[in-house]
Amino acid sequence: MESLGVEMSSRPVRRRLAAAGVVGLALALSACSQTQATSNKSSAEVAGKVITTIPIGSRPVQQGGTLTMGLSADPDALDPTTSSSLYTRYVMETMCQKLYDTNADGQIVPMLATALPTLSDGGKTATFPIKQGVKFADGTPLNADAVVTTLKRDLTKPDSARASELGTLKTISATGNDEVRLTFGSPFAPLAASLADRAGMVMSPTALAKEGDHFGDHPVCVGPFKFASRVPATSITVEKDPNYYDAKDVHLDKIVYKIITDPAIRATDLKSGDVQVADTISPSDVNSLRSDKALTVMQVGSYGYQGIQINIANQHGVGTPPLQIDTPLAKSAQIREALSMAIDRKQLVKTVFDGYYDPACSPIAPNSAYATAASNACPPYDPSKAKQMLEQAGVKLPLQITMQTSNIPSSLQLAQAIQAQVRAAGFDLKIEPIEYTTLLQNDSQGKFEALQLGWSGRVDPNGDTYNFLFTGSGNNYSNYSNKQVDTWLAAAAATTDTATRADLYGKAIAQVQKDNPYIYLYRNRNLTGVANKVAGVSVYPDGVVRLSGAAFVAQG
Amino acid sequence: MARYLLTRVGQSIVTIFLSSMVVFAGMRLLPGDPAVSLAGEEATPARIAAIRAEYGLDRPVWVQYATFLRNSLHGDFGRSLRTGTPVSELIRSTLPVTLWLAAYALLISVVVGLILGVVAERFRGRWPEWGANLVAMVGLSVPSFWLGLLAILFLSVDHHVFPASGYVPMMQDPARSLYHLTLPALVLALALAAVVMRQTRASMIATMQSDYVRTARAKGLRRGRVLVRYGLRNSLIVVVTIVGLQLGGLISGAVVTESIFGLPGFGKLTLNSVFSRDYPVVQAVVLLITVGYVLINLAVDALYSVINPRIRVAGAV
Repeated sequence: MESLGVEMSSRPVRRRLAAAGVVGLALALSACSQTQATSNKSSAEVAGKVITTIPIGSRPVQQGGTLTMGLSADPDALDPTTSSSLYTRYVMETMCQKLYDTNADGQIVPMLATALPTLSDGGKTATFPIKQGVKFADGTPLNADAVVTTLKRDLTKPDSARASELGTLKTISATGNDEVRLTFGSPFAPLAASLADRAGMVMSPTALAKEGDHFGDHPVCVGPFKFASRVPATSITVEKDPNYYDAKDVHLDKIVYKIITDPAIRATDLKSGDVQVADTISPSDVNSLRSDKALTVMQVGSYGYQGIQINIANQHGVGTPPLQIDTPLAKSAQIREALSMAIDRKQLVKTVFDGYYDPACSPIAPNSAYATAASNACPPYDPSKAKQMLEQAGVKLPLQITMQTSNIPSSLQLAQAIQAQVRAAGFDLKIEPIEYTTLLQNDSQGKFEALQLGWSGRVDPNGDTYNFLFTGSGNNYSNYSNKQVDTWLAAAAATTDTATRADLYGKAIAQVQKDNPYIYLYRNRNLTGVANKVAGVSVYPDGVVRLSGAAFVAQG
Repeated sequence: MARYLLTRVGQSIVTIFLSSMVVFAGMRLLPGDPAVSLAGEEATPARIAAIRAEYGLDRPVWVQYATFLRNSLHGDFGRSLRTGTPVSELIRSTLPVTLWLAAYALLISVVVGLILGVVAERFRGRWPEWGANLVAMVGLSVPSFWLGLLAILFLSVDHHVFPASGYVPMMQDPARSLYHLTLPALVLALALAAVVMRQTRASMIATMQSDYVRTARAKGLRRGRVLVRYGLRNSLIVVVTIVGLQLGGLISGAVVTESIFGLPGFGKLTLNSVFSRDYPVVQAVVLLITVGYVLINLAVDALYSVINPRIRVAGAV
């Protein structure tokens, strides 16, 4: 019952370790019985309450020490401009501060900028002030010019992964030593959220000049810790940065991120004390870790989602004009809706994830500031009505559909659970297990009928919707096109008022739930194990495990 | 002799060249695009195109191959597509793990194999031979990944005798390093030990029936002395051949063993790189394995002629 694979199937998680996963599967075999034991309880009852922060409180703090975190995947290059691995953000958190940050409630707060962007010219110009008296780890002072250098690199480097996150950004300039001005082609509401992620990580201009394309070998930013060393595929070490502006609140000497890809081994190492923090705990290990008095399992709902993509009109690859696929599932929105109604999401998360994950029916998480009744609405589970709809659609039952999925055990397990559920409604779901990298290629080239993959989630809902649902967008693998949805999504991206945007997203989601280019299934919880002798650790819905303020404390 | 060795060296160079072509073409024939894999969540068509251009993946395959060949001959294997780390650095950090593992496994398999082989010959038709045969049967027929999982379940999870995973560099703490390597080395060694046992037994039986052994016994030499000085020594040539040929098998076995035990070695690097279509890493790694394999074969050939002069003579003819 390990969940590894399903986290893997969210796109950022660039790990393919089928063989290593075998261990997890074998070790998890014994955990299957837990599923039976918990399957009668509700999700909330099993999972327990949300824990986002383990505060230091009044406990005496030990100054110094080395904290070891078990990291579930090997990050890619430690370069904020090109990185596309979720796990790179975990490591960067301690050494690369951003212009903005998110807090436990998912709100954007200033970090290296001192205030939220001020908008003018109808939202097409944004200015923000930069914190003064701050130095990079190499001693270079932080100023507006340094921010401009970083943002220009993010926008123009050919292999930048950030350019699309900066929307219609046109010009970047410094207006004095401590203020940056950005101009846009059209108003771009998600700006602050983008700058609260990798696009907002300011890189030392001295290091950029010296390292160029290889900045990721020796990243230099502003942060409580600085890069010390990386042993490929093994570990990354950061050490306390004496140049950091708030060094008095940094307690540890060193943090070692040890790469342990197998979830069962992360759990074992946590119990044995080899690591003090471990991310992405498998639901099958949570019960045993929670019963350990020396450990706490932090949990917070993710902004990401998992589900099934339906190929509607992607014949020649993503970004090409929509061209209707000739299958009943692609042609009939009614059949897709029936498929969505044939899935009992509550039962799915109970049986496959021991109830630790939450059912999902929309791209916007219920804990987002943009969640509304409309975005939280879920199609009813009604297999008999689904069957009726199939009969009305005039197809021969059972209707055969083929779903591609990653070939690792947990993804297959999820697929099999779906297969069993939809049979009652008259669907004959064929599972086609495919190696992960090939699965990604099939996805973008449109070589699939249905395909199970998810998304890691973004703070701003634009990042969870626009690229996937807007006609011709970069991640619109279904090649879904609905003019009305396009209008709502574009309007939402260009508006800054939260309530107005939430309303627009709600409308778009209601329509998407009728069209079903993507059948949303469930939402992960970020499960992080922490030893009780460590405090000052936070995990917010963006999933990043924050260790900057961590310390060893007396256990109380 | 010199001509024989020169011919063998020439053959080896051709083998290495051809295998580099096969690997290069093979990687590109695999479905799955490294640019898509590398682009991650931001896999928009524009970014994928930019990545292809950046890493030269958009150029004709033969141009890519020529570049790869030229750079490799200069000792430059490029950088990992995924992490940007120089491939030479990746190899430097992972190769020692695999070499230690292979050496440890080799030691175990030769010692265990020889002892079992000699025992089987000495006690033919009695229970020690059956026992040794049973071990050999298990070693040959049980796949190492299954054996590894069982070993982890019983020896690590249930009885905490050995750690289930992890690695400590040999130079940092030899004792702990050996402790971590013991279980994977045992798993890796069993198949080879079985082969060594069977070969030793078979060739011991043949040797012990030969005239010179009978003469030695007739002269009154003790059986144990004959067994070791005459029997075992003359059987070693077969064993050396087998061990040499199986060394390559040890490296490929290491791919599976390292993945199961989470060892940051060459095998795991290879596997991960294949999965992420990290072309430069796979190419360099497979090239290096090929060179190693070819060199071992060369060394075995050379060693034959040292152990058995008749081969030297035959080769020169």
